[in-house]
Amino acid sequence: MVGKILLKLKGRFGLLKKVRSGGFVLIEFAIALPLLVMILYSLAMVSLNIFRLGRDQLADYVLEAEAQYAMKRITQAARFAKDVQTYGDSSIVKFVYHSLGNTGYNKPIPDLKNMQYLLYTSRDIRETRYFRGYKRANRNYPNLYVERQEGSYTNPITGDNYFGDTKLNYLHCALDKPKKILHIELELESLVTERKIKIATAVFMPGLEVE
Amino acid sequence: MIKILKDERGFLMVNVIFLTLITAFAAMILLNAASRIKNPQSTLRLTALYLANEQLAQLESLATAGSELPTSFQGEPKDLITENLSEENPIEFEVKTEINGDNVCNVKVTVSWIANGREDFIEVERAIWIAKESS
Repeated sequence: MVGKILLKLKGRFGLLKKVRSGGFVLIEFAIALPLLVMILYSLAMVSLNIFRLGRDQLADYVLEAEAQYAMKRITQAARFAKDVQTYGDSSIVKFVYHSLGNTGYNKPIPDLKNMQYLLYTSRDIRETRYFRGYKRANRNYPNLYVERQEGSYTNPITGDNYFGDTKLNYLHCALDKPKKILHIELELESLVTERKIKIATAVFMPGLEVE
Repeated sequence: MIKILKDERGFLMVNVIFLTLITAFAAMILLNAASRIKNPQSTLRLTALYLANEQLAQLESLATAGSELPTSFQGEPKDLITENLSEENPIEFEVKTEINGDNVCNVKVTVSWIANGREDFIEVERAIWIAKESS
C-alpha cells in the first residue's frame, strides 16, 4: 500500500519519467554559442594585431635599410672627395672630386716632322656629387636625392618603398677643416609607424684640399 | 543543426569540430606571432657601428698629424646617447678603444650598451698608420 503511494508520488513529481536531454543540450548550446563568438572575436583581434605588427616590422626594416644605404653612400662619397661644401641647416651637401678628363691624350705622340715627342696632358675635370633633401611636386615630404649636377632631381635614394614610405627629416654635415673630418647626421622618419632613426658619424677625408 | 542538437551525441560532434577549428586557428596565429617579435638590438647595432666609425675617423685624423692615439672617445659627446629605440627610453653607448702596435696600429673600438636589461656590443677593427718624421 505504502509502496503504491510512494510510486504514485514519484510519478507525480516526474521522478520516474524518462529523462530527455534535448532541453539540456539546447540550454548548453545557448551558453556555448556566445562563448564561441567571444573566443573567435578575441582571436580575430589578436590576429589583427599580429598583422599590424608585421606591417610595422616591415616599415621599420625599410627605415633602417634606407638610413644605412643613404649613410653608406654619403660616407663613401666623403671619403674620396677633394672638397666639400655645406649649406647651413639646409639638407644639402656637395662633394667635389678631380678626375682625369681624357686619358687618351695622356701619352707621348711622335712628331716626325720635328723629330720629337709631344706630350698632351689630360685635363683636370671637377666632378661633383650632390646629396640633397628635396620635396617633389606630388609629394608631401622630402626624399634624399643624390645627383651629379645641381638642379636635376631624378634619383631619390630614400622613400617611395612599397613596404613603408619614409621622409627625410634632416641631413646635417659640418666640416672640421684642420682635422679633415666631416661630421654627418642623418635622420629619417617612417610615414607608417612615425618612428625616427638618427645616425651620426664622422668621416676622415685624406684627400681634402686645405688652402 | 536543430536535428543534430536533438541528442547529446550530435552536440558533442559539433563541439569537437568547433574546438578543433579554434585550436587550429589559435595555433596558426601564435606561429605567425613568433616570427614577428621585434628585435630592438638591430637598430642600436646600426647606430653603434657608425659611432665606432666616428671614433676611428678621429683616430685616423690624429694619426695623419703624427699624434699619439688616445683611448678616450674623440667624437661628439651627444652622439653617445641615442633615441632610436624610443624617444622615452634613450640608450647610452660606452666606447672603449684598444690600440696595439707602434707605427701601424691595430685599433679595436668596442661599443657596448644595455637595452631592455640585455647587454650587447659590437667590435670594429682597423689598421691605422701613424705618420712619423724620418730622422
